[in-house]
Amino acid sequence: MTDQGREEFLNEAQDIIEAFARNLLAIDAAHKRGVSQPELINEAFREIHTLKGLSSLFGAKGLSSLTHRLEDLLDGLRLGRVEIAAPVLDVLFSAVDVGHQLLSQTATDDDPTLESKVKRVVDAISALTTTRREKEETSPNSIDPAILGVLTEYEEHRLRANMDAGMRLFRIRVQFDLMTIDTELSALKDSARQIGEVITYLPTGESTAPDILELDLILASSQQLSAVTSLLGGETAVVDEIPLGRTTSGPSRVSVSPLSMARSSVAVPSMKPLTGLSEMPHKSSRLTAQVNEQRLARRAVRVDIYKLDRLMNIVGELSILKSNLYTNAEAVRANHNRQLGGELHRLHRILERRLEDLQNGILEMRMVPLGQMFDRLARGVRQISRDLGKEVRLVVTGAETEIDKLIVEELGDPLLHMLRNAIDHGIESAPEREKARKSNAGTIALNAYQKGSHVLIEVEDDGRGVNEEKLIARAVATGVIDESMAAVLSREELLGLMFLPGLSTREDVSEVSGRGVGMDVVKTNIARLGGVIDVQSERGIGTKMTLTLPVTLAIFRALLVKVGEQEFAVPLSAISEVNLLDSGTREIEGREVTSLRGATLPLCRLRSFFGLTRERSQQREFVVVAQVGERRLGLVVDAIAGQQDIVIKSLGASLSLVRGFSGATELGDQRVGLVLDVAAILEEMLSPGDTLRKVVVNG
Amino acid sequence: MVERLVTSARAARSELSKAEILELLSFSCNDEAFAVDLRAVHEIVIPPPITHVPRAAPAVLGVCSVRGQLATVVDLRRVLGLPAMDTERRARILLARTSETDLVGLRVDEVKQVVRLNVSQIEFTGQAFGNDGTEGVRGIGRPPGGEVIVLLDLIAVLTKGCG
Repeated sequence: MTDQGREEFLNEAQDIIEAFARNLLAIDAAHKRGVSQPELINEAFREIHTLKGLSSLFGAKGLSSLTHRLEDLLDGLRLGRVEIAAPVLDVLFSAVDVGHQLLSQTATDDDPTLESKVKRVVDAISALTTTRREKEETSPNSIDPAILGVLTEYEEHRLRANMDAGMRLFRIRVQFDLMTIDTELSALKDSARQIGEVITYLPTGESTAPDILELDLILASSQQLSAVTSLLGGETAVVDEIPLGRTTSGPSRVSVSPLSMARSSVAVPSMKPLTGLSEMPHKSSRLTAQVNEQRLARRAVRVDIYKLDRLMNIVGELSILKSNLYTNAEAVRANHNRQLGGELHRLHRILERRLEDLQNGILEMRMVPLGQMFDRLARGVRQISRDLGKEVRLVVTGAETEIDKLIVEELGDPLLHMLRNAIDHGIESAPEREKARKSNAGTIALNAYQKGSHVLIEVEDDGRGVNEEKLIARAVATGVIDESMAAVLSREELLGLMFLPGLSTREDVSEVSGRGVGMDVVKTNIARLGGVIDVQSERGIGTKMTLTLPVTLAIFRALLVKVGEQEFAVPLSAISEVNLLDSGTREIEGREVTSLRGATLPLCRLRSFFGLTRERSQQREFVVVAQVGERRLGLVVDAIAGQQDIVIKSLGASLSLVRGFSGATELGDQRVGLVLDVAAILEEMLSPGDTLRKVVVNG
Repeated sequence: MVERLVTSARAARSELSKAEILELLSFSCNDEAFAVDLRAVHEIVIPPPITHVPRAAPAVLGVCSVRGQLATVVDLRRVLGLPAMDTERRARILLARTSETDLVGLRVDEVKQVVRLNVSQIEFTGQAFGNDGTEGVRGIGRPPGGEVIVLLDLIAVLTKGCG
């Protein structure tokens, strides 16, 4: 296999496993609600079937034998031979894990530990499939043999299951234009699914025009005929109820005999291009739908994100050239030729718009929805809650929210840690919850949404909330603060203590949450992405942690500010407003503050913060109000120099210890401007540690 | 015949000693002569505008852009603790890669020339000599008939300067 071939195989297999895992989660959730999801199970079966074919094609032995057995199990599930239950789901989830490991290990296919893992899952599956229950038969006379004759085993099983559940059976005879059959059929199926289950659909073999295809849809539903007709009936769709053996009441208006013909031969002369249809009439439409899906997937390319970075750098350099062009156009207009100057300006504007399009296009390529990571987290939550023996319901919203691919990759671990904390420390044990009159199952909400140029991700539990006394006690015990300090800390500062290294509020350190090394690491990792964590907690009600992250790291709009002779760039996304510093300032607890529309705003004079000594006789000063999450800080600067789209560059290892800057950017004319790391400055100015230091100094 | 033999013997000897010859780039700083191994120098540039980086180590002059890439600039004067002097006109920056991704430059007063010295003309500093103030100094070069040159380890000086 060529490297590229292998790469493609790995990517595709990875995608299938991800999709399969997503299905499993949905099946798991439905199972917990006591609902069966035959369509999801069927889909999972199809995914594994595809993966099986793929892996044997590429000679991936481990994966091939794993998927082979998985397919058996899923086939049993969809045919009702194996009943869906927690142990079955456990085996399926463990198969996902082993599948992931196999894909990361394909280079060394004969790794013995992995081989034994595969064997363990395969054995577990065998155990499940051999103890299959006997298929119970619905009395055969209750189903019209004309229908039974054309159904596959799976469809027959679904039909029986629905009849056992007391569903009515309907036939919807509908005519499609061959040009639009794909979209119209799936639309019809979607609306039919709202009221029941589509058992099968078959061409009738009778059509009124050469480019019309007539299909019979068999639908099982609890609804009455009138309700089904009003939802699905129409000009080209006629709904009839199929009389069942057990009901003899309703008027028998239909004969289903054409169905039996459908399988053997369909004579539609005008449909030559679709010869497959005449051979396998009941499958062809589904096949076309699948082929279309695959075609869509083929049109996507995978691109190394660093190639996009390079493009973005070029866009940055072009922007600088563009502003040079502007300066020259101005000069031409002023000195030589108004007309030529005007024309240059016009070209400059067009260039500007095109560059913007280019930039947005590149940014769009970097964006990915959070969904895939959320699915991984959901698997993690399921595993952790089972390990800890706690019942947890995870409610996810905003999975479609998009964020920079590089950020997503760094988010998984911190978020998993936060969820682990929520399950382990937040959610109470079942008896404790009962005592607090809470439902047995704890709820964790994972919400994401975009707010301006930030993405917010919330992890909220309905657990016991943070125990401040214990947190203080632990902080005092480890010597982070003393009791006099504890007394003067605000609630916000108190909650901030949990992000200090070495603080865990549970006495019994569990294997799952570790030893309180964690939240500090989480915080550092989030800060590295230009984000912050805010905590809200209510005793007995729950804890909510909110991550505020930039949408992208590649390029952003920045405000250029001047302090003395030096220019700094401040990300516009971190600024809520800019004001003249006209109202006076005062000192609170050794910290300079001003008033902003009645609220107190702590100030940070960048001149002294950065130790820029060269004082300038300064009449006016500006306050740039920086806001990250819930926290605000007024940055005092001498002047505002304008706005610019900037591409940020790392300061490199040689300056990695210098805090307060997230990088540097080119401002044009070979000048370099430093980009302020607002989150880090806020942190340094407002962190509890800083307050504590001040308390010590003043006290 | 004899003469031919002598010549070839000489040639062999110079072949042999070629391996022991160091190519050095010599430059001045506060009127003292220094040199670094030429192979360590990535590029020599006229100083572009340099942006001061607050809170960086005292020897760091700031950052600049060299054809789109950021470089940290270290002032040799400050690394060696020499007094400030006004030498703007001929100043140059010797750029070196301190890691695969990092570009760091050393600002010197004036670049002189490439000097070839035999290792026998260099007194390398001993272990005992290589502590605090003199780390980064590899030895003293004595070119025949020329002034004494302080031989520096460019990467070590830059790393030290960045603190």
